[in-house]
Amino acid sequence: MQLSLTINNKPTVLDVEPDMPLLWLIRDEAKLKGTKFGCGKALCGACSLYVDGDLIRSCSYPAQLANGKKITTIEGLSEDEAHLHPVQQAWLEVQVPQCGYCQSGFMMAAAKLLEENPNPTTDDIKNGISNICRCGTHPRIIKAILLAAKLKNDGKRG
Amino acid sequence: MENADKKPKKGFSRRKFLAISGSGVAGTLALLYFGRGAIRRKISDFTSEMDIPADVSDFDHKLWFEVNADNTITLKSPKAEMGQGIFTGFAMLAAEELDVAVEKIKVVHANSLNGLLSNTGGSNSTSSFYVSIREVAATLRETLKLQASKLWNIPVASISTKDGMLTAGDKQLSYADLAKQITKWETTETPALRPSSQFKYVGKQQKRIDLPDKVLGKPIYGIDVTLPDMVYGAMLYSPYVKGTLKSADTSGAKNTAGVLKIVEETNWIGVVATSRYAAQTAVEKIKAEWDYNPNVSTKDLEKLITVGNGKEVNIQNDGDTDSVPDEVLTGEFRTPIGFHGNLEPSIVVADYKDNKITLYASFQNPAYLQTSVAEALDLKTEDVAIMPTYMGGGFGRKAFKSNAVEAAKLSKAVGKPVHLLATRQQEFQNGYVRPNTHHVLKGKVGKDGKILAFVHHLATGPMIFNSVPAIAETILGADFIVAGHGARCPYHVTNIKTTVWHNNLPFETSIWRGVGMFANTFAIESFMDELAHKAGVNPLKLRIDHCNDTPQLVRRKKLLEIIGEKSGWHLPKSEGIGRGLAVCDDRKTVSAAVVEVKIVDGAIKIVKVTQAIDAGKIINPDGIKQQVEGATMMAISATLYEQGTVENGQFVQTNFHNYQVVRLSDTPEIEVILHEGSEVPSGVGEPPLSPIAPAIANAIFDLTGKRLRSLPLQLAFQAASNL
Repeated sequence: MQLSLTINNKPTVLDVEPDMPLLWLIRDEAKLKGTKFGCGKALCGACSLYVDGDLIRSCSYPAQLANGKKITTIEGLSEDEAHLHPVQQAWLEVQVPQCGYCQSGFMMAAAKLLEENPNPTTDDIKNGISNICRCGTHPRIIKAILLAAKLKNDGKRG
Repeated sequence: MENADKKPKKGFSRRKFLAISGSGVAGTLALLYFGRGAIRRKISDFTSEMDIPADVSDFDHKLWFEVNADNTITLKSPKAEMGQGIFTGFAMLAAEELDVAVEKIKVVHANSLNGLLSNTGGSNSTSSFYVSIREVAATLRETLKLQASKLWNIPVASISTKDGMLTAGDKQLSYADLAKQITKWETTETPALRPSSQFKYVGKQQKRIDLPDKVLGKPIYGIDVTLPDMVYGAMLYSPYVKGTLKSADTSGAKNTAGVLKIVEETNWIGVVATSRYAAQTAVEKIKAEWDYNPNVSTKDLEKLITVGNGKEVNIQNDGDTDSVPDEVLTGEFRTPIGFHGNLEPSIVVADYKDNKITLYASFQNPAYLQTSVAEALDLKTEDVAIMPTYMGGGFGRKAFKSNAVEAAKLSKAVGKPVHLLATRQQEFQNGYVRPNTHHVLKGKVGKDGKILAFVHHLATGPMIFNSVPAIAETILGADFIVAGHGARCPYHVTNIKTTVWHNNLPFETSIWRGVGMFANTFAIESFMDELAHKAGVNPLKLRIDHCNDTPQLVRRKKLLEIIGEKSGWHLPKSEGIGRGLAVCDDRKTVSAAVVEVKIVDGAIKIVKVTQAIDAGKIINPDGIKQQVEGATMMAISATLYEQGTVENGQFVQTNFHNYQVVRLSDTPEIEVILHEGSEVPSGVGEPPLSPIAPAIANAIFDLTGKRLRSLPLQLAFQAASNL
């Protein structure tokens, strides 16, 4: 099935099996490797990306549902490498990642959380993201989201 | 204190672990001479620290460093980066002797064609190369000076180095410009190392050099490897423990669009297709029947792993524990099977061409990959090239049993590179697990507050026997080295007895972050708490009172004093809060934790963890803090929730919906205190994991009076609450 999608603002046409998970379309066909496979059952969030602005777990999302839609992955979260998204800035400032494998998913979830709740409390963060990290970066993820909220709000005011 | 700048000894003490791993004839002869009991206790004495030496010995700077045209320096790391921050630590150490900024050192994974490869694990990445990496860097610096002295025709002594530049009077040249002119490197002798008092980077906070790529989602992991003409594999393995393939109908798989090849082996079937989806879809169409034992269940495994069952090996026998008077306290503990849950499943990209193969792998143990694939495909080991990548977590799961042989055979069958990624279910059911354990402890505290006797019987499946020659099981009798790590009584007590009971489990058991220290510390440090309460002694005081003047116990005592003060141990607690303490000595590092808990809606909630760590010389303070926080979270996960079970001959757990792990909502406040109790660095990745479980259990006792003696504690607490 031929699918037309816009991936990180780039119009893309790909011929894939309609039920292939969107994750594999993004990774293997569009060659964007930042979105990760973790569980294959939408349990861990490593494959999180946006479809028309909605946060979805792409390992369990059939590619055909993305036809005609706008996809944003970690590679498209910021404008470019010189202008990082506040979440990425905060992630570097707080030194969040260890192995780093789950972090794309966490950053996508964090950026979405801040869109919906620009001033989250620690409890909002703890209850708002259910992704899995095995290295145990949780304390720094919470700290970085609080910082990202501040950076984002300061940026708007500035 | 040990001399930090001394070259590690190459004698038996430094090589003890390797010597035992490879022991064959020598071990057998020693057995005949000394008798089993004595030699096993000796081996246990030698190996109890698990301070594993480096497994590479070639320090030719060309195998380690390359001077690049832009005057940066590439450091080819023999250790893989699996989240522990080793690339940053290595860059800092090299910068001390190279006279370049840390930012100018680009660290990459060495591969088997251009450098040296080492096993990554055992928390030894920093400690085992702390001296060597600076020596190689210093040798490169002096070699550059020597070459410049020849070019300028002046004495070496008149040349100085700074910020990647060589200077002598008004002459100046960058390392890069000099390196371009060198056709034949004449290497100098290794110079004396700069003393630690002159360190510019070591000990100061350094941002991790691998994080920009990780924050941008750059393709750096094994799963990200892409080669021209690459195709995708998918596997069918037995869903049962030790299941064997009886019959299979692959006709449906063969007719699936995109399928290129089906490879059937004795115990697995692999499909290669043009897309991962096609390969996976085809595998799901295979109708397979398996021979297996449907009667294997957790209940039986607990019986098998019970003190008194199996082979008995005594590893510590000091004084006379039998002469201790009656009224001995007994405690019985259990820990369950544990899965690693590394978020990046096993992944290998294999590229077979002309009787040679290249393996791109996210793996802790390159030598294992090389030998297992060489053997399976009947290749010479030098014809198996290993290209390590960043790992998406390891925790011990990527040390043995990879899917590289399968990937290699699939690649050979189709004549193309094959990307083979395990599914999450395979990662649970077809890997290996942390064995379940059973502990019986006996002890008695005298009227003077002194522990009169301390007896620990550990029953465990092995962690080491899947990685050493079969003779090791005969020689050792039980895996008291790895699964028994931390089983010995760590305190100064006159009458001590430690015994390990061995049985093999009906599936593969091996290492898991912290190895035996995790289960053994849970049992020993919980029991110390029981002894303290029974004797009416403060648990902190009982521990401090049993530290004598041996170097590790001096460090333990100091750290206990620090944690006592910094955690508020002596201060009153808030309403509804329980407080517990535990400590461990692991790989020459001491780690002590105080945990505060409360009960919310009938469940244990961790409120605060204060953890103090003495890992000797501090290289990157924030790097240590990251590891302590991470180990704390992983330990909370393993303590409260994680449990592997077997029913009807198969692992029940198939994914994260039935293997609960911590989420953001489980995060307590974590405070990390660093203490530098030695001039040499020791392990950081594993030690802070082990005090957490007993500290939580002790805090629950403090709060509720309930003594929880089996993991996971959330289940044990519910069971105790329903009594």
